[in-house]
Amino acid sequence: MKSISTASKLLIMVTLTAPSLSANAQEKFRVCADPLHPPYSTKEQTGYENKIAALFAGQLGQELEYTWLPERIGFIRNTLKAENDNGEGFKCDVVMGVPAGYDLTDTSKPYFHSTYVMLIAKGRGWDDIKDTGQLINLPLDKQEKLKIAMFDRGPGTTWLQKNGLLEYGVPYQSMTGDNEHNIAMQIEQDLRAGKIDMVILWGPMAGYVQSKSPANSYIAIPMQSSPGMQFDFSIAMGIRQGDNKRKQQLNELIDKNLDKIHAIIASYHIPLLPIPAETGKKDDDD
Amino acid sequence: MKKPVKNWLLASTVATLLAAPTVSTANDDLEKLTQNPANWASWGGDYAGTRYSKLSQINAQNVKNLQPAWSFSTGVLRGHEGGPLVVNGVLYIHTPFPNTVYAIDQKTKAVIWEFTPTMDADVTIPVMCCDTVNRGLAYGDGKIFLQQSDTVLTALDAKTGKRVWSVQNGDPKLGMTNTNAPIVVKDKVITGISGGEFGVRGFLAAYNIRTGQLDWKGYSMGPDKDTLLKPGKSTTWQDGKVTPVGADSGTSTWKGDQWKIGGGTTWGWYSYDPKLNLVYYGSGNPSTWNPVQRPGDNKWSMSLWARDADTGEVKWVYQMTPHDEWDYDGINETVLVDQEVKGKMHKTIVHFDRNGFGYTLDRETGELLVAEKFDKSVNWATHVDLKSGRPEVVPEFSTEHHGEDVNTVGTCPAALGSKNQQPVSYSPQTGLFYISGNHLCMEYEPFEVSYTAGQPYVGATLSMMPAGADVLTGKKDGTTNLGQFTAYDAKTGKIAWSNKEQFSVWSGSVATAGGVVFYGTLEGYLKAVDAKTGKELYKFKTPSGIIGNVNTWEFEGKQYVGVLSGIGGWAGIGIAAGLDDGSSSTNSEGLGAVGAYRSLSSYTKLGGTLTVFALPSSN
Repeated sequence: MKSISTASKLLIMVTLTAPSLSANAQEKFRVCADPLHPPYSTKEQTGYENKIAALFAGQLGQELEYTWLPERIGFIRNTLKAENDNGEGFKCDVVMGVPAGYDLTDTSKPYFHSTYVMLIAKGRGWDDIKDTGQLINLPLDKQEKLKIAMFDRGPGTTWLQKNGLLEYGVPYQSMTGDNEHNIAMQIEQDLRAGKIDMVILWGPMAGYVQSKSPANSYIAIPMQSSPGMQFDFSIAMGIRQGDNKRKQQLNELIDKNLDKIHAIIASYHIPLLPIPAETGKKDDDD
Repeated sequence: MKKPVKNWLLASTVATLLAAPTVSTANDDLEKLTQNPANWASWGGDYAGTRYSKLSQINAQNVKNLQPAWSFSTGVLRGHEGGPLVVNGVLYIHTPFPNTVYAIDQKTKAVIWEFTPTMDADVTIPVMCCDTVNRGLAYGDGKIFLQQSDTVLTALDAKTGKRVWSVQNGDPKLGMTNTNAPIVVKDKVITGISGGEFGVRGFLAAYNIRTGQLDWKGYSMGPDKDTLLKPGKSTTWQDGKVTPVGADSGTSTWKGDQWKIGGGTTWGWYSYDPKLNLVYYGSGNPSTWNPVQRPGDNKWSMSLWARDADTGEVKWVYQMTPHDEWDYDGINETVLVDQEVKGKMHKTIVHFDRNGFGYTLDRETGELLVAEKFDKSVNWATHVDLKSGRPEVVPEFSTEHHGEDVNTVGTCPAALGSKNQQPVSYSPQTGLFYISGNHLCMEYEPFEVSYTAGQPYVGATLSMMPAGADVLTGKKDGTTNLGQFTAYDAKTGKIAWSNKEQFSVWSGSVATAGGVVFYGTLEGYLKAVDAKTGKELYKFKTPSGIIGNVNTWEFEGKQYVGVLSGIGGWAGIGIAAGLDDGSSSTNSEGLGAVGAYRSLSSYTKLGGTLTVFALPSSN
């Protein structure tokens, strides 16, 4: 017989510092983040998004506070847009990385631009590959030996499909339930274990994979966007729709710190491309 | 402190005071219990899933006098699906996560026992896509079976609430969760699995009722040894006849290894025919969202199944929506009734699919008899070809046909279907099925940037809107209602009548011998309508929106009607998750459901209450 449980709280909030009762919510820089999502963010704050958040909080003279939740379906709903249990305010105010033009949040101006990368593990018989076209034109007996990761969604899989390579894909989910590895960690492990030899991975994750092995363990080929297959994206910060003051503040911080931000990101082996002029979201004029 | 659940495969000590009943009678017991209308002993009231009660104390004449008799707060504020069980006078209810179970004494309205499993919220909650619902309990062999959210299946002593055994049915770390109600069949308890959006490959599993040991497990796709399809013996409907399936039909319509993350989850309701010894259910959509990436029929996602209860071997399987492009999950319940179709008596199986078609098949052979739209606004397919068994897809509404440069406009129904999981009821008095329905269409907007677990890509945003068309004719009429409550004749595929509802009807109905059908609404009303005409006879507003099923039973000579209210689930996710702030015109994070449900929060707030109704004592 169990006593009555009060386990109706859904998110276990972890504050890094003991909240002082008199602290004004305005004095904190409150970030919604995944506790196990290298290279973006980790609970130990080793991710590049953690570093940028610390930089911003420091410049604002604010305390940095995290609400942790794995970044899966429902993440925005249960963090940025979730009210505190006491009904006062929201659980957190900023998601450090979302694509520019993301529709679940309003977004700051973009702070970096990157691309998907094809990573090929060296020493597996593919060392002569210099561009992706070579894979498409392989003789069939060679093609059949391909072990390339294939996600359930995303441009990498579209590329495989358009080039008739779907059969050689090793299926992966874009989103897993694994609370001990994120996708980048899983792919990195499987590449090293030889479960797969290559993968088309988003720049930051590709950087993470490379950072876990000695230099030059991988051939890295940036993917080229083409009509119907976009590989390069701008990344911005996510805030609640209507939170214009914070948006303004973030935009100013991004402008002021762009070089520092890029230095942080580059140190994670992440390919950086020039940020294109913001096209913004399509107008919904109908 | 929460501790992760251990993987118990061993049976815990069974209280020695319990006389272990002989195995072979377990389902006879349950069958006897369901034959007595004083009980409501399984999710469907009976094995056939008819949700029909022989009770007639409350009837079309006196139901206007109905009133709340008592109520009970569950202490949990999230989506409450499923409904109360009543077995030998004791009432059992369950809650969404944390899956508390209460046994309640109807005389004193006091809690006899309660049980809350230990679950690791950090692991389980993040992998539950659409709120943390649970669709209820099963009873059998003196035990209550709870299928926990974290996939642990637990058997409790029905008298004491003590745990008898637990078994790990899946792995939440792989995205597996459970939301379904199990069923007890013979010496087995049968359950499924959720988690299609995480690439989970669906299965139906049977565990020994006394020990929790796995007896069999049949997957929705994969090689024959996984699906338990017997080539040359298991059949499907093809070319106008019952046709044996070939070898490895569960892999041959998939490119490469994609079947391994194939989806086809099994989170609906299961029914059973004791004479044929077959278990029936539906499988869900293929897990890869982008249909372009999975050429082929993707068998056996989106299918109706008949499996041998003892071995799991497939008797027949029928795919309703080959190569799904719309998320029309095929998991809805299967109702088993004997009916005359086209001049011949058949043991039929009737299923109202998310895709808007009502299917009537011969449940012994899998022969397709009738397939008609139960909401004429449905436009993704013109009809189902009875010979091939395949839908005639309208290219205009194919997301794939359009590719990336054109909006797919006004595809009906929306992804949540003309009917979602809320089970129908059937009245042998009228011969009609009563369908709690949605009346929505959807648009896919390409060129929206999506972001899944750290990887950006150009995806599609789903928005939903009222169907704005007549259920009976399909003609555009500018209506804005999002729900319908429809009476349908599965012998002919004709709609008898249909009532408009402002919001989707997300509550399972119950039909009674009193000529009344009960259902709940998203604003929180319990409604009673005339089974023949649909005329509304009674309504009462419960504390929160209803997504639970209405059940009915008798205690000390009085008929009761009970329902859980508590908004949430997919329909209420905007409310349940505090998203409904009016700040954006559409929102795809609730899988597209939020936009259309935006105004619901003016009508109802979170809750978690069982409300029990009866006629006043003077009646």
